[in-house]
Amino acid sequence: MVDHPKPNSSDSAIEVRHLRKEFGVLKAVDGISFELKRGEFLSVFGPNGAGKTTLIKILTGLTRPSSGTARVAGYEVEEGRSEMRREIGVISHSTALYADLTPMENLIFFGKMYGLERPAESALASLEDVGLAPRRHDRVRTFSRGMVQRLSIARAILHDPSILFLDEPFTGLDIHASNVLKEQLQNLHNKKRTILMTTHDVSCGLEMCDKVALQVMGRFAFFTDIKEVNKENFETMYFDAVRDNQFTMGIRA
Amino acid sequence: MNLFLNQILAIVWKDFVTELKTRELFSAMFIFALLVILIFIFSVNLSVVKASEVGPGVLWVAFLFSGTIGLNRSFMLEQENGCLMGLMLVPADRTAIYFGKLISNFIFLSIMELFILPLFMIFFNIDILEHLLPLLIVIFLGTLGFCALGTLLSSLASNLKTREIMLPILLYPLLIPIIIAVVRMTGQILNGEPLSEMMNWIGLTASFDIIYIGVSIMTIDHILEE
Repeated sequence: MVDHPKPNSSDSAIEVRHLRKEFGVLKAVDGISFELKRGEFLSVFGPNGAGKTTLIKILTGLTRPSSGTARVAGYEVEEGRSEMRREIGVISHSTALYADLTPMENLIFFGKMYGLERPAESALASLEDVGLAPRRHDRVRTFSRGMVQRLSIARAILHDPSILFLDEPFTGLDIHASNVLKEQLQNLHNKKRTILMTTHDVSCGLEMCDKVALQVMGRFAFFTDIKEVNKENFETMYFDAVRDNQFTMGIRA
Repeated sequence: MNLFLNQILAIVWKDFVTELKTRELFSAMFIFALLVILIFIFSVNLSVVKASEVGPGVLWVAFLFSGTIGLNRSFMLEQENGCLMGLMLVPADRTAIYFGKLISNFIFLSIMELFILPLFMIFFNIDILEHLLPLLIVIFLGTLGFCALGTLLSSLASNLKTREIMLPILLYPLLIPIIIAVVRMTGQILNGEPLSEMMNWIGLTASFDIIYIGVSIMTIDHILEE
């Protein structure tokens, strides 16, 4: 029986120190450090290939870092993976849903995998949260991209995690579906869930977050409070930072 | 322990519900196995060759080749829409995922074998009913070994673009001890020999079953993690 590290008592939801992930000569994550308090919402922006997805994969225990440490929900990601997984929910561009099953069947299955006592009741409650209860007996294959993404949220919150990781959740959504998703994320944030979201959607990302970061070539070009960001000038800041790959604002590392 | 068993059962339940809805896996495996037997029937002159000599090989070629279709499909289902990632995110022991998939594969292949056996009996004009119990024991041991190793290797090959090609290339050479043993035993059973005279072969097959399962338990964590 492995003695997993116990969660610490601090109010940090995510603590990252000098995190690196290398694929040969490519540095997907290059010495990132930051801290996110419980209940905070961090939006991570960055161009394609900046290493945002790799960062999320490390923090969710899907891949191991080359060096550095990460604590999620008080657990060392490397050592306390099983315990940590009870505390996190993940939504990515892959839906992680079985297309030939219904939403109820999908969520009951994941509920059983999480060891929930009443998976059917939890599944129905999650579906009601995302407004998909009326379609609970239809096959997922028949759903639109927006509905599937809402179902992904239902799957991710099924076990009532305290931390949510969202990897470009607005990809492929139309305006209406984006607004619905934004509303649901706002609800989750209001329920004091810690959220780390990578996105290309500047307006959505800035509107909802408490903290904002820009990742370029594996590094955080900046990580700061949303109050310190001038939303009108954000795009200019973004392009300047991407072009220069320089640290343009105070890094809280 | 309860959670571990519930997770295994959940995976089996999920695979069964999916198969009941799509009917893709069973029909593909059954038709393929039937075609293999028919092709051999038409290419072999049973008035010259003894059915009990050529039959065991044909039967196991049908089982193993059609079983490979099932194994390929097994983890392909998990790769669609990133479902494997979803499984990796739940607080489940990786061996629970392995055993869930192993049991699903074993049951699907066993059902297909039970449908193929009577047809084999009719086409080859062999009365297997009087040897049914020993034959089922041999089929059980062979199918278990095939599924134990095949489930592990299909999880390994599922990340490769050439998975349909890679799985049989990896699987069949490693299965040779079991293939030799079950074909020999099936031949001896069809010739009316009692199971007690094949204890060496049974021991060999059971040993390889245990080895395959043991190696899978030891390696599945690394295979699924990276």
